[in-house]
Amino acid sequence: MNEPRASRLVERALRCYPARWRRRHGDEAAELAALLIADGASAGSIALSYLVGAGREWLTPRPGLRLSAATGALLIACSLGVSAVLLASSAPARAALTPTRAKGVSTSQAHGRAHCRAGSDEAVPGVLRSMGQLPVMIWEAGHERSC
Amino acid sequence: MRVSGRDGRAGQDVLRRVGEASVLILISLADGPKHGYALIQDIKELADVELGPGTLYGALDRLERLDLIESLPADDRRHPYRITAPGAAALRVHLDSLERVSAAGRLRLRLGGI
Repeated sequence: MNEPRASRLVERALRCYPARWRRRHGDEAAELAALLIADGASAGSIALSYLVGAGREWLTPRPGLRLSAATGALLIACSLGVSAVLLASSAPARAALTPTRAKGVSTSQAHGRAHCRAGSDEAVPGVLRSMGQLPVMIWEAGHERSC
Repeated sequence: MRVSGRDGRAGQDVLRRVGEASVLILISLADGPKHGYALIQDIKELADVELGPGTLYGALDRLERLDLIESLPADDRRHPYRITAPGAAALRVHLDSLERVSAAGRLRLRLGGI
């Protein structure tokens, strides 16, 4: 591997470390890599070693960040994610019902017309329009329940 | 976790769980300060182990957090590292423990006639 390519590879691996680590060791680590490559070590193995080190560095709890605080933050993030997924999955049905109810159509009629096409893979344009979020739910297959 | 003579853990083998790389680094630093490249070369000569640079920096950070080594002011772009007094004490305890285990192992091999 030629020198500029090798140093680019190592640079990319070093960019995976947290900023705090790069401020402290970044220059030195790049220089060490250059010396090792000059000694005949392969740039790939050095980059891999730095990549693994970066992974460990991200996973190591920092002294300022208590483990309980980190776990709490992770739990909150997970529960927010789950809530968002649940909200997104219930949105099409509610969105399909809302405009038809406003026009005085019953729920069963709405089911028949809008989202309930058992066994069908067709897109339901009404659902998408009322959601206003095209990328979220493009296809709505018929569900297992009888309507 | 910090290691000192006053916290009641002076006789404990704190290096038992830090990994081989950290122990090799401490052994290498026992005869004087070294920077990363010199450490890798010395450990290769000393133990025939090639430390990857990622492993080296991970172990250096861990040892520094434990106050077993300290970094000296940068010389050009390289930081030399030096073993601290608690680091030297911890290394002594660990090597004593390894010697006991090694002696026991040799004795058992002799007794077993292997």
